[in-house]
Amino acid sequence: MGRVRRSRTHHAIRDVHRAARTRARTRDLDQIQLIDLDPKNRAKLEAQPLDFEKPGLAQHYCVECAKYYESDAALHSHWKSKVHKRRCKELKQPAYTIEESERAAGLGREGKRTSAVVASIPTAMQQDL
Amino acid sequence: MRIEKCYFCSKSVYPGHGSAFVRNDAKVFRFCTSKCHKNFKMKRNPRKVRWTKAFRKAAGKEMTIDSTVEFEKRRNVPVRYDRELVATTVKAMKRVAEIKQRREHAFWKNRMLASKEKLRTHRKKKLEAAKNASVKLSEPVAIGSPEKEKLREKIKVSAKSRSALIPGEGRSMGMEID
Repeated sequence: MGRVRRSRTHHAIRDVHRAARTRARTRDLDQIQLIDLDPKNRAKLEAQPLDFEKPGLAQHYCVECAKYYESDAALHSHWKSKVHKRRCKELKQPAYTIEESERAAGLGREGKRTSAVVASIPTAMQQDL
Repeated sequence: MRIEKCYFCSKSVYPGHGSAFVRNDAKVFRFCTSKCHKNFKMKRNPRKVRWTKAFRKAAGKEMTIDSTVEFEKRRNVPVRYDRELVATTVKAMKRVAEIKQRREHAFWKNRMLASKEKLRTHRKKKLEAAKNASVKLSEPVAIGSPEKEKLREKIKVSAKSRSALIPGEGRSMGMEID
């Protein structure tokens, strides 16, 4: 006899699949940490030109959470919220990138051409020619 | 042919296998299985998921600083085919793998030694705590043993000491007639 299906498995979360669509993707943590949090980019993001497509005409943007707000009051209350503080904490740690996944697999990168193996290639090719 | 690495679990992804996601900044995320892809979609951090290579390396469960780990590299300049070079490379690969295996085993053994020591001290501490505990346990004692009942049967009651409260020694129902 199998387990009887539990009740109360619905948590009133609507449109989970819609929120996970590629169309609805927001900026990833590594993008925010490495690009957006740079002071120059940050200033640009915080002072965006009027955009009629975006919420609040793109005038109230939270850089850490990559989210537009309707008003200044809403943005300020968001900064005090738990969601924002949690996000800031996550951003303090170094972001996980593709390079790290490759390093974990033991795949290094030849950053510069100064290594011995690469230097020997051009000479070998010259000999062939 | 290029063997890619999975973004999530760092496994090798061979041509024709797995899937890829290209972000709008042209970064290619490759996944070995749908499991890894789903975990990525859930925005999980591979460093915090215990079954990934990233976790194992970050938590010090595997070798990270070693010369054998640094042989495999992404080369963006193709090397002209050379039969001798291939032969020596294959030979070297086998040798490197051999050394790597031995070193990994030694690393694991060392790690286990430390953990064993930790476990031993923990057990010792626990035992000490149990000994010094305020509540003492004693062996359970059987209640109503058969010996006691036997003793009770042996008591003899003389005819004179019969209770006056029980008429007819509890046998008769009516009044006593002389």
